[in-house]
Amino acid sequence: MNDVLNVTARTDTGTSRMRRLRAAGKVPAVLYGHGQETSVLTLDRKELVAVLNHSGHIVQLQGAVNESALIKEVQFDPVEDRILHVDLFRVDAGEQVEVALEVVLKGTAKGSLSGGVVNQLVHEVVIRCPASAVPERLELKIGELDVNHSLRAGDLTLPEGATLVSSPDQVLVICNMPVVETPEAVGAAATGAEPEVIARKKAEDAE
Amino acid sequence: MAMMPKRVKHRKAQRGRIKGNATRGNRVVLGDYGLQSLDGGWLKAQTIEAGRIAAQQYIRGEGRLYIRVFPHRSITSRPLETRMGKGKGEPAHWVATIRRGTILYELGGVTEAQAKICFARLAHKLPLRVRMVKRRTH
Repeated sequence: MNDVLNVTARTDTGTSRMRRLRAAGKVPAVLYGHGQETSVLTLDRKELVAVLNHSGHIVQLQGAVNESALIKEVQFDPVEDRILHVDLFRVDAGEQVEVALEVVLKGTAKGSLSGGVVNQLVHEVVIRCPASAVPERLELKIGELDVNHSLRAGDLTLPEGATLVSSPDQVLVICNMPVVETPEAVGAAATGAEPEVIARKKAEDAE
Repeated sequence: MAMMPKRVKHRKAQRGRIKGNATRGNRVVLGDYGLQSLDGGWLKAQTIEAGRIAAQQYIRGEGRLYIRVFPHRSITSRPLETRMGKGKGEPAHWVATIRRGTILYELGGVTEAQAKICFARLAHKLPLRVRMVKRRTH
């Protein structure tokens, strides 16, 4: 079941008005897609945070508009972690949508029991699936992952009707033995050297 | 060894000003946890290296440390007991320009508790106020 977000229509735009809106516990949003006119909306911050906390992607809008939408982008303040703005994309239930989903590792790797370290290189993959069946996240079982082995995007179990958009050869997780660097290797490089100056080299070539 | 560019267009740079928040490099993208700067300033190459060593000594090859900043800017200084004038000094060291919100280091493959201890050790080496942040899913 999709999450429900109550929305109100908004006529105000501009930095200072949006700042006041955010101070009142609201979040400015925009709804677009399907060749229809763009709607500027206001969301309740608490409702939105609840949806984002469990990685919801498709929401049912109620109020000023009654449509399903994909949360396309969420803008955050980098330092204060406040939500600044949300982009919503109109979708129909049966429509195919492309979504970037988080990849969560499940289980304990066989390699980690023999001293290996599991390292997740890629945290998100893009899939195409019906809007009505977008999962919150994708789980990757790493129980069989041994030392010096890797799992790729093609190893993911996708929900029914979903296809992988990211490359199936993309390495998602590897298991290696830990490498402890030696102090000799750290101090071996030369110090005090100056970098090459590009412009000077060109001038010398001209002469 | 402290980081430094391999090739530069100009050996010396003007000091500039550091204004506002970071608009790039302000999200955790490579690991699971990040160390975010809450101040703007310069971070010396030697300081970045000291932080790396402090973190590596704690994680001991388990997990992975990513350094997200690079010292691109040269800082010049004048020799001691010399009179003013006679042009700009010679490059003395290299710094990374840090804006508020920049992610300095990232850690992957460790638990949250380990990351917290590791970043606390690392933060002691830094001249900036920092905080630990997690990867965002949206």
